[in-house]
Amino acid sequence: MVEQTRVHYQAELGQLEASALGGLDLVSEQLGRTGEAVEQQDVELAQQVIVDDDRIDGRYLEVHQSLIALLATQSPVATDLRLISALLHVLKNVERMGDQCVNVCKLIPLTGNEPPADPEMLSRIVTMGKHTRTLISQAKRAFEERNVAMAQDLVRQDDVVDNLNRECFHLALEIGDDADKREWAMTMLLAARAIERIGDNAVDIGEQVAFVVTGLFREFEDASHPEG
Amino acid sequence: MTQDESRAETGRQTREEAAERAAIAVRPGEFNHSAGKREKVFELKGVGVDYSGAAAVKDISMDIRRNDVTALIGPSGCGKSTLLRCLNRMNDLIPGASVHGELLYHGEDLYGSGVDPIQVRKLIGMVFQKPNPFPKSIYDNVAFGPRILGRKDDLDETVEGALRGAALWDEAKDRLEDNAFGLSGGQQQRLCIARCIAVQPDTILMDEPCSALDPISTGKIEDLMIELKEQFSIVIVTHNMQQAARVSDRTAFLMVELDADEENRWGRLVEYDETEKIFTNPADRRTEDYVSGKVG
Repeated sequence: MVEQTRVHYQAELGQLEASALGGLDLVSEQLGRTGEAVEQQDVELAQQVIVDDDRIDGRYLEVHQSLIALLATQSPVATDLRLISALLHVLKNVERMGDQCVNVCKLIPLTGNEPPADPEMLSRIVTMGKHTRTLISQAKRAFEERNVAMAQDLVRQDDVVDNLNRECFHLALEIGDDADKREWAMTMLLAARAIERIGDNAVDIGEQVAFVVTGLFREFEDASHPEG
Repeated sequence: MTQDESRAETGRQTREEAAERAAIAVRPGEFNHSAGKREKVFELKGVGVDYSGAAAVKDISMDIRRNDVTALIGPSGCGKSTLLRCLNRMNDLIPGASVHGELLYHGEDLYGSGVDPIQVRKLIGMVFQKPNPFPKSIYDNVAFGPRILGRKDDLDETVEGALRGAALWDEAKDRLEDNAFGLSGGQQQRLCIARCIAVQPDTILMDEPCSALDPISTGKIEDLMIELKEQFSIVIVTHNMQQAARVSDRTAFLMVELDADEENRWGRLVEYDETEKIFTNPADRRTEDYVSGKVG
């Protein structure tokens, strides 16, 4: 007769997974407001995003500490061990994603009041933010469902963000000779780059999904050997 | 029946003590000890054990590698100790016990008609759950086997070497003539390991060797196992999964199977693999549930 044991431990691990993945909801919310602040040149909203990053950092510290305690006290092995390892990675990704939102928001006051925004470039950055939010929600769902195919699809989704980032670069090159406009474009390139990195973090979470399910870690895309 | 077994029946010592003494009561060897250079120490093919006709373990097939620590884990009643006792014919001492299937030791049939079980137990020593020193001095405990073997030359060196090998020399060197019962539990268990290795076996079987010890003593025995595997092959039965994870190179998971009416039960090998694989990514769901402690 098989009897289920360690019920409390399993419940605690489940709660910690929910809390860690819940950090992705916080990031998605932050990224949504970041996009809005960029689009509207809203310095106050940007400041609010910067302040609210403490919520993400707090989530990181709280769940990280609890996972370490679980490692110390429960000696997890097999799938549980892989899950905890993956959650520690995910937490780091969440924390970095939050920091990238802060990086973007810190740029907004630098562009000044009523900056000479290029609508084409601005539109792409806003689209990048929206698309990256879908990546974040897809990464979360793939983790919750242990869905490797959905996780691998993040690479395809991330290509959309990468392409928009490259388009921003070319638009910046062709922005013209106006010094103010060039300064705005260079600043916005930094913002686009930060959002593009958030997409990469979502793909990293997808790689952790594959690790939890299969026990094997491999990068979906090897940046140092792109043709491999 | 051997003289030692007769003593056991008279109640002057336990069956385990009789086996321990039998293990070191040497007769001319039949095994070619030099064949130990081969990778496999044991090859089990469809091995099963019955007690008075009732199956205790069924259909065990596995190879045990030389100079590895191999752990046998599984819930109570899964037959891991029974399987361990097959490896040096200790089950021979249990009335009604029978072993079937093929069990090769260095390529030779361990249960072949010409094989002397006492010689087997000299080459394949055993350490039990509870430390069982003889009521003698520390020195005489370790010297007991070599003396019976007629190895009386350099006995001091042999005793010192065995005590050093069992990481007990520094603690025992100034009290070699003291009674072994004066040692702590952990020291007594290391003395039993010293007594085992003093007769130069090639394999050591350990049946829950730390279950009666505190964490410090357990740590010392575990360190010792890792050092001893340089010279010996070790097979350990343990209920402590973290111990299996810490010390073993390969782990075998056995579980209990029941027949349809749940009246008869026996042990069966579920999974056998590198320990790291068993504890990070086991192939079988039943192994996963057991090592994770999710089922009892």
